[in-house]
Amino acid sequence: MRGRARAGHVLAVAALCSIAACSGGGPPGNATAARVGTRPAAVQELTRGIDAGGVRSLDPSLATDIPAFRVLDDLFEGLTRLDVSGEPAPGVAERWEQSADGLTWTFHLRAAQWSNGEPVRASEFVQAWRRTLDPRTASDISQILAPLANAQAIAEGRADPATLGAEALDERTLRVRLDRPTPYLLALLGMSFMAPQYQPAIAQWGERWTEPAHLVCNGAFTLSESVLGGRITLLRNPRYWNAASVHLTRVTYIPADRSVQTDRYFAGEMQFTDSFSAEQVRWLRERLGSQVVTGPYLGNFVIGLNVERPPFAGNLALRRALTLAVDRNELVRYVRQGLYEPAWTPVPPIKGYPTPVPDWARLPDEERHALARRYYAEAGYSPQHPLRVAFHYPTDSDNRRTYEAVAAMWRQNLGAEVGTYNEEFRVQLGERHLHQLPMFHYAWIGDFPDPYTFLQLFRTGFGYNDGGYSNPRYDALLDAASATADPGLRYRMLADAERILDEDVASIPLYYYSSRHLIKPWVRGWQPNLQDRNLSQYMLLLEHEGR
Amino acid sequence: MGRFLLRRLLTAIPTLLLIATLAFLILHLAPGGPFDSGHVLLPQIQHAIEARYHLDEPLWRQYLRYLADLAHGDLGPSYVYRGTSVNDIIARGLPVDLAVGGTAMLAALLAGSAIGLWAALNRGSWRDRVPMTLAVLGISLPTFVTAPLLVLVFALQLHWLPAGDWVAGSWRHLLLPALALALPYTAFVARLVRASALDTLASPWIRAARARGLGTWRVLLHHALRPTMLPVVSFLGPALAGVLTGSIVVEHVFGLPGIGRYFVGAALNRDYTLVMGLTLLYGTLVVLFNLLVDLCYAWLDPRVRVAA
Repeated sequence: MRGRARAGHVLAVAALCSIAACSGGGPPGNATAARVGTRPAAVQELTRGIDAGGVRSLDPSLATDIPAFRVLDDLFEGLTRLDVSGEPAPGVAERWEQSADGLTWTFHLRAAQWSNGEPVRASEFVQAWRRTLDPRTASDISQILAPLANAQAIAEGRADPATLGAEALDERTLRVRLDRPTPYLLALLGMSFMAPQYQPAIAQWGERWTEPAHLVCNGAFTLSESVLGGRITLLRNPRYWNAASVHLTRVTYIPADRSVQTDRYFAGEMQFTDSFSAEQVRWLRERLGSQVVTGPYLGNFVIGLNVERPPFAGNLALRRALTLAVDRNELVRYVRQGLYEPAWTPVPPIKGYPTPVPDWARLPDEERHALARRYYAEAGYSPQHPLRVAFHYPTDSDNRRTYEAVAAMWRQNLGAEVGTYNEEFRVQLGERHLHQLPMFHYAWIGDFPDPYTFLQLFRTGFGYNDGGYSNPRYDALLDAASATADPGLRYRMLADAERILDEDVASIPLYYYSSRHLIKPWVRGWQPNLQDRNLSQYMLLLEHEGR
Repeated sequence: MGRFLLRRLLTAIPTLLLIATLAFLILHLAPGGPFDSGHVLLPQIQHAIEARYHLDEPLWRQYLRYLADLAHGDLGPSYVYRGTSVNDIIARGLPVDLAVGGTAMLAALLAGSAIGLWAALNRGSWRDRVPMTLAVLGISLPTFVTAPLLVLVFALQLHWLPAGDWVAGSWRHLLLPALALALPYTAFVARLVRASALDTLASPWIRAARARGLGTWRVLLHHALRPTMLPVVSFLGPALAGVLTGSIVVEHVFGLPGIGRYFVGAALNRDYTLVMGLTLLYGTLVVLFNLLVDLCYAWLDPRVRVAA
């Protein structure tokens, strides 16, 4: 009997081992063994991954999530669109001119059509923007339209939507008035919420106008299938003004977790993933080589300091000691697998913007640590009387690893005792907004490639200035930068303002984000870009063998 | 029977009302709201959005408004999936879970019962110990281990089945998620059936049946099967409610557009109406399946019928 029992256990263990052996072997190598030709493939159908949360809404006035922005980039086109390198290029507008003060822009529209064959009219831009700003639409992106004259007053319900600074002079001419010079206007106009909307469909179908049977769009693709929380299928739009240069006939977006996207990539079911797990990067590079694509991304990862409360209020030396004691290069290399770029300033590198990297960033580690200890002592702390403070961050394994490492650096380099506490995202957000936390995590993804989107967070009284930072000199520089129509001067003023943030140690920047994808070698027509927006209209599949 | 059913269905109403009230209160006690986000949002705009969804009203009024809508079968709009109603979300996601969960439970019931009976009939031999050891393994291995292993073997190594995604009506997309979901339930059912069958087979009426010279299969199918299934039926009631409302892990691994994922996501996003809708759906299914279990009991066991 005993012998039989043992036989049963042996069988079970053997079965388990065989499964484990499979998992240890990793996926098959044929993903790397593909042969790629030079001619376009006969079948131009691409499957792209999007974040597991899926698309929450395809209404350009209401969509706020990145998966929706990816799909909307293919469905709708604004006055401008992004080119393959991520720079604004003519979209529905074929040309434009601006006034000398930069406050009035006139856009001349090309003969573009909706997917139902109707012409795209200038008035449809105006109506779409008014709809986004109308409080009855309850759009939480209306704030981004603030540069348009009267936009903010309309969004707050203080002005009629008809007073918006946008006017259709005729069917193909649109005049836009701004409250202040906005050098990033062309980038802003290329965002999906600035695209025109087909008003008859909205009037007829109400909230259901974004369903595949009802959606009328003007982008390179039309909506064929949309499963809530599932796949979204797009087909080439033959009425798109530039349809002749669109290669793909079908694009399928599939929401999936990073690791699931990787599985599906190896299975040959997905050719362009939205991301992959940072922990897998070395393993992936060994197997996939150049199919692992990373690039800078418009986002930062920062420790916020509450300068209104002890121990940081009025204690510049302590804030300086903490920022100096963080070894960002080591953090990026060992904790974030070298995927991100170390940050000494809040604004990520933006083309043309002179990032004011502080001098202390170039100090050798030992010298920087010694300086940190000197400031630490000057702040009144010592090994006998160490800094004891709580640090709060939203629950996330990446966050935990980063902040445990930073706390260890402060312990090792200063002797400070920083307790790290994770909380649910919304709980942490609420406490932050109430200025209850002495130290907190925040990460910011820019709405558009401009330093202002990051610097506004430190303006006195700004809703998201959770550390309560205030410096009249800083505010004055932001005001002056907003008033000038000279882009070069504006960048220099913003850089000066950012320098003040470093002098005051308003926060402790840790690193800048990067985008990361797995892309099959036969997929062409994309480039890493700061906003990580790759429009399917530029993509092309080459002949290939293998999955 | 009719009165019994009516009584049970009427008692379900206060139960569900209590669930709705508790869920409503707990949700609104949690810090943060559906429109607190990382976006730059002026307080005036945030207030306008909250007013649009009546979130600026006193809690009791919001509660009464919700109940009034509920009485009309309207679960309200989702705050996160803008422009989509909770009814719509459930109507679109539930068929996926019904397909995957229903297939999994049917497979678990058939395979688990067969394995359990086979093991009980061969008590003490390797035919008993091998399946029962595997059953322990099946129960111990969580779905988040078995599901990726199934993907690894059948999608990445053998390329027999897709690694994920959902295509309505496609058995190839159904097979792996249903299998991943079925494995632990098969193991549970097998162990339950084995234990129950051993008790039944040792009972006096089975001995009497055997003494009358009836064959093993006849004894098993005509006399032992019904009482053996009693504990399985008790187990299946709540299990079915759980499986049919989606498995978070299986939906996650296979990228299924079911409703299981919303149980966690909606709570974290403070999507009040969606959480309420899902809680009520789950509560209703638990009440219904428990009622079904009681009816099955009466059918399976004559003693219950006499007591009723």
